[in-house]
Amino acid sequence: MEKERFFCVSSQSPEAVMPVQINCGAATGQLPQPVLNLGWDQLMHHGVRFDSALGSLVPSSPSSNQLAGSDSVGLRELVGRLGSSGDMSLTSRYQNANSSHYSTLLSSPSKLGMDHQQQSKRSLPMAGQFAAPFSTNPGFVERAARFSCFGARSYDGLRGQFGLPEAGRLSRVSSSQSLKATGGIPVGVPDNGKETASTPEETEFSNGQEASSASDMMPASSAENNARKRKAATKGKGKAAPLSFSTISPPKETEEEIYEAKRCKTSETSEADKFTRTKPNTEQSSDDGQKQGKDNNAKPPEPPKDYIHVRARRGQATDSHSLAERVRREKISERMKLLQDLVPGCNKITGKALMLDEIINYVQSLQRQVEFLSTKLATLNPQLDCNMDSLLRKDMHQEGTLPQQVYPPLDLTSTAFSYAQQDMQTSLNPLDSLRQPPGVQLDSLEGFADANSQLGNFWEDDLQYVVQMGFGKSQGTAFSSQSLCAE
Amino acid sequence: MDSKRRPIHGGISRNPNSTSKPAMAFHFLRALSHIRLTTRRGSSLARRTLRIRRAAYASMACSAGTRRAWSRALLRKLRSPAPRRGASVLPRRAARTTSSPDTDLRQALALRRLVPGGAAMEHCELLEETADYIRCLNAQVWLMQAVVHGLGDLSN
Repeated sequence: MEKERFFCVSSQSPEAVMPVQINCGAATGQLPQPVLNLGWDQLMHHGVRFDSALGSLVPSSPSSNQLAGSDSVGLRELVGRLGSSGDMSLTSRYQNANSSHYSTLLSSPSKLGMDHQQQSKRSLPMAGQFAAPFSTNPGFVERAARFSCFGARSYDGLRGQFGLPEAGRLSRVSSSQSLKATGGIPVGVPDNGKETASTPEETEFSNGQEASSASDMMPASSAENNARKRKAATKGKGKAAPLSFSTISPPKETEEEIYEAKRCKTSETSEADKFTRTKPNTEQSSDDGQKQGKDNNAKPPEPPKDYIHVRARRGQATDSHSLAERVRREKISERMKLLQDLVPGCNKITGKALMLDEIINYVQSLQRQVEFLSTKLATLNPQLDCNMDSLLRKDMHQEGTLPQQVYPPLDLTSTAFSYAQQDMQTSLNPLDSLRQPPGVQLDSLEGFADANSQLGNFWEDDLQYVVQMGFGKSQGTAFSSQSLCAE
Repeated sequence: MDSKRRPIHGGISRNPNSTSKPAMAFHFLRALSHIRLTTRRGSSLARRTLRIRRAAYASMACSAGTRRAWSRALLRKLRSPAPRRGASVLPRRAARTTSSPDTDLRQALALRRLVPGGAAMEHCELLEETADYIRCLNAQVWLMQAVVHGLGDLSN
């Protein structure tokens, strides 16, 4: 399964990841899984290079899943912060509509890449609040917070609230990024150049990764986060993420949790400090460190152009592909929004899979309705002959505000009526055009004519009927009289 | 019924997304009248139902014209009476475009089956066509309900 593999890549704990997913599914009624699936889809686009890294990964034993569900509330905050950090609109959009799914994915990588320090700072506080009791290992915290907490916590939080897509996306993005980084990165590269000790960092990272295995997304997001950060900051600097993947050793699950806890706890304070002081390429690094707590919940008004700028800046090898994919995803999200407006009762549904389910159900119900109504009409059909005219006019009239569209080929009365609401004078034109058979409707009109031949004198009655029905717009009334005269 | 197939509404469509209800009503009522005229004494209710349903979809497709892929596919299907069972072959490109997980793929498949001509669409296009199809279906259902209601009222 791609997901499993992906998790393996990121956290080396496919079992941990899968149980987490399963838990999520059980807890949330299978919601996370489809959401994850969606995210996977997109993520796989990012992580096409995962395959090479996948082989090297060793699935580790499942990490503690309890971490996932421990702090739902805290996770929500984390989600909010993630949204704010990754993209101001991420959280809100995600919470508001399912379309954020795509936007978050798009924005999260960019944000992650833009200023990993900021991200890490944000992620650290988020992680920190979740794992208060955890001890702190400064280097580990920094790394772990960046990689795992960010992804994992966010994932957990999202999972609790159907925030999976966002978190998942973020984590996936980060993981994909990390995987990409893994491709050609030497083993001992320190992450983001922040930490001098590469090995401890790597181990920390790996530990962090493993610790984050509790939440499947964590390592992916963190890794990707790191990868993106590295790419954004220095093209060849931060290779810790990929390094950790390759060097992750399975038997660190127990430590993972501890590290994770540590990460979370320390991330808030130490990480913030570290990140604030370290990263030069993030314009708001210092601000972020201090404003993390504040900004996390708020939506930083980062202009979208930064996001786009970041994307261009990354200079990925498959940038054209990823950009095209992003464009495609945006298009799809647009369409999904349209569909959401069309299908009643879908405002609260977030997630592409659920939305698709709703759409399918709605289309099926509409088709069933057509079937049922046609059966009903079939039973009523014998009565059609006498009522077609009035029915036709009634329908035309009942359409309320008829579209302004000129509809010449309609039969006499209906055409007249359609015009009546728009332009009285043109009402005569359809009549004229009808007299000179446009070649389209004459044969069809004959059907009406045959049916109504004996009802020829009925037309005026019908017209009057329609008028009485409340055709009652001034021009309509005038027109009806005109059509009467015309006939 | 060539007249039905021709886009009758004369070219002035303000909004390409708006469903042309007058056109649809015209088509449908004309078809209903035709069915009523040509219905034989011994024709069963089921057969009439089928004819009316076919007329409904035809009116939908006519109102949408040829500017929509689903309407084109629907018209094609209505013209060629040969029912090709299982002929909806999902093109490879449709599968390629969405390297989605199984759930998503299942849903996409289901949607392709529902929307006429959906088998040969990309995912993006499929969503757009679905939106238009839903709009048209809504209009058609509304129209049929109005007809039923009108017939009921008039017969009383």
